[in-house]
Amino acid sequence: MLEFDGLVKTYGDNRVLQGVGFTVAPGQMFGFCGSNGAGKTTTMRIAMGLARADAGEVRWRGTALDDASRQRIGYMPEERGLYPKMKVADQLTYFARLHGAGSADADRAVQEWTERLGLADKRGERVEKLSLGNQQRVQLAAALVSGPEVLILDEPFSGLDPVGVDSLADALLERCRAGVPVVFSSHQLDLVERLCDAVGILARGRIVASGTVPELRRREGGRQLRVVVPDAGPGWADGVPGVRVVSEQRGDTVLELDPATDDQAVLAAALRTGRVTHFARREPSLVELFREAVAA
Amino acid sequence: MSAAGQVRLVARREITTRVRDKGFIISSLVIVLLVVGVMIFQLVAGGRTSTTTIGVVGGNPSVETALQQAGEASGTAVTVTELPDEAAARQAVSDGDVDGAVLDPVGDSPQLLVESSGSVDDIVRSAVGALSVGAQLAAQGVDLQPAPNVSVTELDPSDEDDGPAVVVALVGVVVLYGLLILFGQFVAQGVVEEKSSRVVELLLSTMKPWQLLAGKILGLGVLGLAQMVLIAVVGVTGALALGVVSVPGQLIGTVLVVIGWFLVGYAFYASVFAAAASLVSRQEDLGSVLTPTTLLLVVGFFISIQAGQDPGSGLATVTSFVPGLTPLVMPVRMAAGDVPLWQVLLAVAIMAVAIALVVRVGGRVYAGALLRTGGKTKLREALTAERA
Repeated sequence: MLEFDGLVKTYGDNRVLQGVGFTVAPGQMFGFCGSNGAGKTTTMRIAMGLARADAGEVRWRGTALDDASRQRIGYMPEERGLYPKMKVADQLTYFARLHGAGSADADRAVQEWTERLGLADKRGERVEKLSLGNQQRVQLAAALVSGPEVLILDEPFSGLDPVGVDSLADALLERCRAGVPVVFSSHQLDLVERLCDAVGILARGRIVASGTVPELRRREGGRQLRVVVPDAGPGWADGVPGVRVVSEQRGDTVLELDPATDDQAVLAAALRTGRVTHFARREPSLVELFREAVAA
Repeated sequence: MSAAGQVRLVARREITTRVRDKGFIISSLVIVLLVVGVMIFQLVAGGRTSTTTIGVVGGNPSVETALQQAGEASGTAVTVTELPDEAAARQAVSDGDVDGAVLDPVGDSPQLLVESSGSVDDIVRSAVGALSVGAQLAAQGVDLQPAPNVSVTELDPSDEDDGPAVVVALVGVVVLYGLLILFGQFVAQGVVEEKSSRVVELLLSTMKPWQLLAGKILGLGVLGLAQMVLIAVVGVTGALALGVVSVPGQLIGTVLVVIGWFLVGYAFYASVFAAAASLVSRQEDLGSVLTPTTLLLVVGFFISIQAGQDPGSGLATVTSFVPGLTPLVMPVRMAAGDVPLWQVLLAVAIMAVAIALVVRVGGRVYAGALLRTGGKTKLREALTAERA
């Protein structure tokens, strides 16, 4: 288990983190969401020892992370950085070795990951000569070449084209299936929804919602109904007790029900307006869940 | 991986990237060529012992011997050319083929033709005088015996001449100064490169700032030492082969002293340069933070040149104990040979304390400033910043 436990961090008067905690199981892909400046990067940097938490700690397999255990973590910083004048293969070998790989293992891993990330023909190139997309792949390779036990990636998908996103996503899913806990932050919530087993939403210095996406739906959006009543006039649902209209467009209505409200009563009210062409519990997207959680 | 292992990896990267860098290879070659060039110049300049050519019209073979002896007495090698007559003599003098021409050197009225009066006059006069005295004594039937040799006993033999050692030390200090600046710059540029490319964040997720700093300074230090030794070997071999220096023991001793001081100076300046460089995020800003330290080096350099002329001066003595100036001034004083051992040890001790201090404070600045990218970090901010 990778555990983030009660992280508190203050910069001057700015209380960035006020007790951030979540857990990522081995083989779990954890999407870390939050508005700009919510503290995602700070959280990850604390895990990597680049910032010091005022309180709380990050544990891997039950022990707080230290220099030795951090060498077994693959990290992709938000501030991308590679040696511009170093060749791709030399650079990746260097990072693999800094993470503790032996010389032969490092060479083999560099061969493998440059192949898998489509960089095989770029091994001898200086990083500064590569396109930004390819630099991004090298950056990712730098996080993966050491065969890490844990992956912590800050916005790994930003700046990638769809092909790049797919190859990166494949690589992450493969590592994840191999039992590696993966934490990544992203603003691309559709991507998070597609890839992640679990999601944590960070707002106001805390995790305001976390769990699997279905869990979040149940918790946040489970009481919404979408009802399509083509013949109804505007405001048809206003009179139904325990119901709030979320949106209404020519009969296509999203309703939020109080916990005590019986959805069958809503159906009866809808039928009174005429035809009902759609009546279902609504699955809110992660974007909506996110808005909800951040706004709450 | 152990802490030392990380340091080793960092050091190795510094060495391999530099060694593959064309600019470094070229600058290294240039320095070596420069040293060889200086020696050849020394040889040519020093080898020009003056020679005088004197034309002779008439006379006998003893004239040549007499002229050469007279020349030797005044520190000149004399070459004698036989000329047929006065006309030829005038021609040779005005053409500059000979420095002077003597007519009838053993006759009653010898005559010397020169462009204008100079050292040739005395040589010819004393030669003609000696010949005349010899001839008169011979005419009186005196059998001339060669003069006895004077044997010399030194009551207070002075040490080997310190002059050449001081010259060697000065050349050494020039190289030392150049390499300190060069490798100090390398350290500084490396620090800024890692900051400006932001690779430092990735590096620091696998190691502590001190490991990165130590690896960088050690790696470049090994390279600097290698370059210093290479120059020393080329210099010593060349100097001995070309006969520029005649006392190999003294030469090698002085070179070793300079190399020792290079290491001390490098440890000091590399740490200061690294800490200063960590305050900025762009290569363009490097100049402003390095200038104070570079100035100290320049001051030390000029004092050491001055010390070469007057090693016993108060300025040289005092500055040879000032941290930062010591590595430049002390080798020159030591080569001049008038430094008591306790002074050398004291200077080393002061530098050791200074290095310890610089490494400690510099390491704090470096660790505090390293992750502050963008703009220039103030020294105070770096010292109080949280360290990863």
